[in-house]
Amino acid sequence: MPWKNGYTISDEIGLTDADLHWPDGNRCCVLVTVDLSVAAGSAGITEKDIASPAATFARHDGLTQLLSVLRRHALQATFAVPAAIAPVYGNRLRALIEDGHEIAAEGLRHEDVSTLSRDEEQARLQQTTHVLTDIVGQRPAGWFSLPRQEDPFAGGTISPHTIDLLLEAGYAYFGNGLADDIPHYWVSDFASRRAMLTLPYYYHFDDQFFLLFPRKGTGLENIDMLLRNWKGEFDAQYQRGRLFHMTLHPQGIGWCDRLQGLDDFLGYLRSMPGLWNPTGAACAAYWRETYPPETHLKLEPAIWQDHPRSLS
Amino acid sequence: MELSEIAQRHDARHQFISSIAWPNDAHIAVNLTVDFDAMLLRRLLNEPPMQLAKGEFGGRVGIWRLLELFQSHNVKATIFTPGRICELYPQAMHAVAHAGHEIADHMWEHRVPNEPDLEQDHLLKTAAALERFAGRRPVGTRSSHTRALLKREGFLYTSEDSASQLPYYVSDDNTAGSTLLNLPFHYAIDDAMFYSFAWLGSGNAAQRISDPERVFDMWWAAFRQQYNAGGYLNVVMHPFVSGRALRIAMMDRLIARMKTLPGVWFATCEDVARHCLAAVPPSLA
Repeated sequence: MPWKNGYTISDEIGLTDADLHWPDGNRCCVLVTVDLSVAAGSAGITEKDIASPAATFARHDGLTQLLSVLRRHALQATFAVPAAIAPVYGNRLRALIEDGHEIAAEGLRHEDVSTLSRDEEQARLQQTTHVLTDIVGQRPAGWFSLPRQEDPFAGGTISPHTIDLLLEAGYAYFGNGLADDIPHYWVSDFASRRAMLTLPYYYHFDDQFFLLFPRKGTGLENIDMLLRNWKGEFDAQYQRGRLFHMTLHPQGIGWCDRLQGLDDFLGYLRSMPGLWNPTGAACAAYWRETYPPETHLKLEPAIWQDHPRSLS
Repeated sequence: MELSEIAQRHDARHQFISSIAWPNDAHIAVNLTVDFDAMLLRRLLNEPPMQLAKGEFGGRVGIWRLLELFQSHNVKATIFTPGRICELYPQAMHAVAHAGHEIADHMWEHRVPNEPDLEQDHLLKTAAALERFAGRRPVGTRSSHTRALLKREGFLYTSEDSASQLPYYVSDDNTAGSTLLNLPFHYAIDDAMFYSFAWLGSGNAAQRISDPERVFDMWWAAFRQQYNAGGYLNVVMHPFVSGRALRIAMMDRLIARMKTLPGVWFATCEDVARHCLAAVPPSLA
């Protein structure tokens, strides 16, 4: 009997607020993810995508402006980088690491892998790791499959093999899980308790869904809603002593009034004491040591049954 | 058939309640309702793994936060629960029952089969699964189950759709003895409408993902209008949606603000249904 297979990825109950402790007595963890992908849809970054005005803005003015705001507020970020775009940034990626940021992988071209064979996905994964290691000078610890604007769902796409392949390849964490708002374990095999540490993601804190979404010219500009979502979540999670995360795209948030909104919000965030702002890898390392799966992944015996004439 | 004839036949299935006196001279009855479907609907629609994980948040985290929220305000809610959720989140279901909330039907696997024998099978399986936690069979449902079947199985009310602002009676088409009370909910007072991407298959250009302050203002305005009218409000929350920290905080403010006014009756759907059935019994069979 599969353990709720096809329905759940983790254990039955998440950790409560009282269970949570951050390093040095800090009150709230803050994770910032910057997505360097400019992929519009499931094909991943195309020639058209990389030559668009938005992508040009992203790799020049947009990124420069975003980095200056992050620096002003002394925030470390994790950059999700598709291997295909890494040569475009080249040494700038190493400079990000020198500034204390992290470079994580985001697929070969940030393409949809959900229908690939296991072998093909594995080959692409290995190539991604190789390219990024070569350009960045160190092996990526994290893997992201962030959503693209044309995706029918806003959670990112993976295949049934992805988590297992990431474990095999030695990745320390998967960067965008939706089953919790704190780190949690994505179980790839319930019998052996094989599990991937997963960091939380939620599209309400991702700029791309509020800035001329789904496309420039006809999309809706709701920067006010994005800022209220960030503030509402940060206040609530700070109160609970949990974790606040945000996902940023230089081509979106780097522009004009949006950048000012980010700057103002981060100024507010930084005015609150007791924030721990690690990279994804540092957060994952702390989590694995403090809340190891051996003691904190609670897989109850399944009472899930197969019923005649029901979905199994 | 002429439109006027269709309208007439349709109306004949309905018995509306023009006004109702709530217990203790309350100005309004408020039903806080929770659709605990977590990832079941996503599974039914064959949505991809990330969508399932998004729903899973409701079972691992969201439902627990909603229980804390209700307890902190000392209010009882109605948890509409698919039967299969009992096999996925038994600990949460124990907590729901222990806290004294009403546990009501929300279909077996979030669908009502067309085949009558299978429909009955699903309804009975769900009732039995819920009874194991609640200690009694459910008396209400949020579903499109056949009313004649529901009535035979002892159900008192449905809570779906909004043909009237106040609770009303409605029967199946062409079926005598199928009249049930309906406690209306409106999609504009449903969290998923404002917070859930790709809700009910909506396309990217139709996304309405919003923020809690805007929703707070809308729902407060809805409450005030019904409070002044001596009416009814059914607030629909999904644990995977409203269980997010920023929205729990928003519901906390909304309930607290409702409580600043005198005469607000926070009740379970069953309590409201029993009151309506006693105060304004149906004349339809």
